[in-house]
Amino acid sequence: MNRRNFLTAAGGTILLGGAGAYGMVLIATPAPGGLMSPRPPSTRRWGMVIDLNKCRPDCTKCLQACRTENNVAFHGDKRWDIHWIRKVTVRSKHSQSSLQRTVLLMCNHCDHPPCAQVCPVQATYKRDDGIVLVDHHRCIGCRYCVMSCPYNARYFNFRENPDWPNRDYPKRSHGVAESCNFCAHLIDRGELPACVTTCQRIGVGAIAVGDLNDPQSEVSRLIDESAPKRIREDLGTEPKVYYVGL
Amino acid sequence: MRFERKITNRGRRGLVAGAALLVLCPLGLAIASRVLSLGGERPPPLLERPAAEHERCIKDTPYMRFHHMDLLKELRDAGVRGGAKREVSLASCKGCHTSRAQFCDRCHDRVNLTPDCFGCHDYQ
Repeated sequence: MNRRNFLTAAGGTILLGGAGAYGMVLIATPAPGGLMSPRPPSTRRWGMVIDLNKCRPDCTKCLQACRTENNVAFHGDKRWDIHWIRKVTVRSKHSQSSLQRTVLLMCNHCDHPPCAQVCPVQATYKRDDGIVLVDHHRCIGCRYCVMSCPYNARYFNFRENPDWPNRDYPKRSHGVAESCNFCAHLIDRGELPACVTTCQRIGVGAIAVGDLNDPQSEVSRLIDESAPKRIREDLGTEPKVYYVGL
Repeated sequence: MRFERKITNRGRRGLVAGAALLVLCPLGLAIASRVLSLGGERPPPLLERPAAEHERCIKDTPYMRFHHMDLLKELRDAGVRGGAKREVSLASCKGCHTSRAQFCDRCHDRVNLTPDCFGCHDYQ
């Protein structure tokens, strides 16, 4: 056997082994109706598409679901309240136009996250699958990330959260920064984030989350079909939350 | 003769004062109470034992007794930063040691410790 044949055979074996391993992962995480990607976990790139044509201006179901799932603090005082999702109304700059849109704002999970770049202790970091997370054990509460986020998605825990609705998920102590994490604990279990589940349950289905690297996923299909926009694309942060009808 | 010192009355008084000070200081008191077995030793905290089917921990008891915090930190870093699957965590301790008040807190209170874990992670 010469060198070329040996390398070809070895490569084939590795490829087959790899395919077998990925096949096993697929069988192990069926998650019917949930979130799935045929790609191995580290090559996934989670993204979100929000259809503002479907999103109802008076509905706050996803905000409530997020609060309950992730123990997001609500003190009833806007100085301390924390919002992982915000709903804002934007108007056209042209005074003649009466165009209004209600927009869901949240962490955009940028590919080049400014919050992670400025964090002096690397508490904020981007996972291999593109989700931007805060390691609250490491956060020193300097609030640099709150300042740097161009989407104002970061919030600081000035107070201890008095409520703890979801005991299976940790809350945050006072003195750390936090933001939406795409419900990473649910995504890792093959489930959809709480906001998406709720939006689907009430029959609106305005939010979709999926693997942007997977051309078959719902988000990829939506992006191909409807050419959505992202907020402040000019900043070069490459956000991964897409808006249809913005 | 110049360097010879006699234990004078004044020197003896100093020795007595020093001994009294040693006995009265906390360390001296502790030693004295131990030597004279005054009060005796505090009994070790009574910990809730896990059910018979959960007799085996992931490490042996002496290791867990003194290094469980190191193990938890190691697992935490592997899970949060390393992307490892969180099969074993603080939550899995609950499987056997069901009550925080009757297990964790007994020792932590004894050594006057308030770990930060329970502020955010639920352990009833």
